[in-house]
Amino acid sequence: MSAPVKLMIVDDEPHLRSSLTFWFKEEGYDVLSAGSGREALATLLREAPQILLVDIKMPGMDGLEVLRKVRETAPETTVIIMTAYASVETAIQALKDGAYDYIVKPFDPEAISRLVKKAAERYTLLSENRELKARLEAAEPALVTAGGGPMAKVLELVDQVAPTDTSVLVTGESGTGKELVARLIHARSPRRFGPLSVVNCGALSEGVLESELFGHEKGAFTGAVGRRRGKVELAHEGTLFLDEIGDVPPKVQVDLLRVLQEKQVVRVGGNQTIPVDFRLVTATHRDLEDEVAAGRFRQDFFFRIHVFAIELPSLRDRPADIPVLAQHFLARFASAMNRRIGGFSPGALAAMADYPWPGNVRELQNAIERAVVLCKGDTIEAAHFPFTTNGHAAAATSLTLASAEEAHIRKVLATMSFNVAQAARALEIDRVTLYNKMRKYGIDRP
Amino acid sequence: MKVRLLHTRDVSPGHVRSAFSGLAPPLVPGEALPFRASLSSAYDRSRAQYDAFSVLEAVPEPEAGWLNLLLVEADLFVPALTYVFGLSHVGGRRGVLSLARLKPPEESAVSEELLLRRLAIEVAHELGHAAGLVHCAVGDCAMHRSLWPESIDLKNPAYCLSCRALFPEG
Ligand SMILES: [Zn+2]
Ligand SMILES: [Zn+2]
Repeated sequence: MSAPVKLMIVDDEPHLRSSLTFWFKEEGYDVLSAGSGREALATLLREAPQILLVDIKMPGMDGLEVLRKVRETAPETTVIIMTAYASVETAIQALKDGAYDYIVKPFDPEAISRLVKKAAERYTLLSENRELKARLEAAEPALVTAGGGPMAKVLELVDQVAPTDTSVLVTGESGTGKELVARLIHARSPRRFGPLSVVNCGALSEGVLESELFGHEKGAFTGAVGRRRGKVELAHEGTLFLDEIGDVPPKVQVDLLRVLQEKQVVRVGGNQTIPVDFRLVTATHRDLEDEVAAGRFRQDFFFRIHVFAIELPSLRDRPADIPVLAQHFLARFASAMNRRIGGFSPGALAAMADYPWPGNVRELQNAIERAVVLCKGDTIEAAHFPFTTNGHAAAATSLTLASAEEAHIRKVLATMSFNVAQAARALEIDRVTLYNKMRKYGIDRP
Repeated sequence: MKVRLLHTRDVSPGHVRSAFSGLAPPLVPGEALPFRASLSSAYDRSRAQYDAFSVLEAVPEPEAGWLNLLLVEADLFVPALTYVFGLSHVGGRRGVLSLARLKPPEESAVSEELLLRRLAIEVAHELGHAAGLVHCAVGDCAMHRSLWPESIDLKNPAYCLSCRALFPEG
């Protein structure tokens, strides 16, 4: 871990010192405190805190004097002045004397937290970056890769675009980890200390989606008893991630386009404009160019969100990563369920390599979780996977090509709720071929 | 780590039950007990709020392997801040959490569901602090800092893998 930022609270009121110490310790700062200006200056020389929060009104040496002394002896230190309402004018004097900012007591948790974070950011930018990267890589299984290959290319694109404020469109089949890529972009961007506000646009009806995105004022519609902030507003100073953007109805596309252009939002049923500053990341499993051509998606909105595109490979397009991911999930589930399972039999590895994984990384994760539950020994066998026929005896090798094809078609159809057009697209064959194969294997729609 | 959930009389039994049974791993429910000590000395008449720091001081020290969390309905503040959702001794295995600011303004079945979710998230958050964790950069981790009630909804009632790894043993 990198060394935490050192913060010193200078106030003559002991209760205020100790409670703010607690508050900032929760933020992960190394917190010191001093009860007087003189004590603060002594501690400053010994401990070299990067940030000072100084009360302006103290007996003996007051805040302004502390500020001036700090500017002389340790000019690289950030000083934030705390003041009661009555002494705002003095606080403005403090700014002229080189204070970083001032804040009026009692302050909003939000205001103080943002202010100190902003000040701290100047000291932590480099070390924080490295640490965050390590944390994220531990937390993001779908991005685990054997090295090289299409996923490495994706990570390269993420690193390229993350530090900018460019809008990013992430595409790929379901289960490929689109949301994880969006999170990674946020986490590696200068907005990483701001919020990541996520909306799954596919799951919501038009009215609910509008209120979810833009919020509403009290009485905006039946049931809107109180005011509610929308996800766009909550994304302020951070990243807004809109998943399944291809499912957003045209009317809401227009509203979102306006927010993107004007950088302000109006709550449903309200008339106050609220300025918002966020970075937009969107994702979809649909082909938006097709949707635009079909008239279901607005071209102007498409251009706005499609500034930088990242296409995620399906799991079958990155076969080298399958055993690595499988081992990763195995370790995770085995430890969570307190089981000693060391690895996979050659048959199990072959079965995973042969299977086309229409549900991608998510399906692999589910398959491993189920296998860990079923496994009684110390090795996962092919029979522990749901896709190696319904029985438990047959290993993948005993399947003929035809029966594997039949099983796969049945599986894909089932996942697509027997939508033949959609299944054909997933299988990358045309619809007529799929109908022929269904007739051949006697597959009927339910 | 085992959790002792203390609660003042005004906290509804349903909320206690929900918080207790929904603890995020690696937390383990230990016991839920009413909290009998008076908090009146923590009340600040001029602000009509309770001083979180004084309330926290009233939470008893737990035995090894346990975390003590006090649930209250009272609105909490710390001097200099307008309000706090909760406060903990980082690594001191004691914490306090208020339901006052978690409640969505609408009174409906949906808002009750939302409240229970927020409660689960912030219980995990304060207990994480009590166990020694500080705020996490992962946006939906329970240890991410929330400044508005609505921003609690952006989180999950669980710890990210790296926070889980930071939990002390036992
Ligand atoms: Zn916290
Ligand atoms: Zn975390």
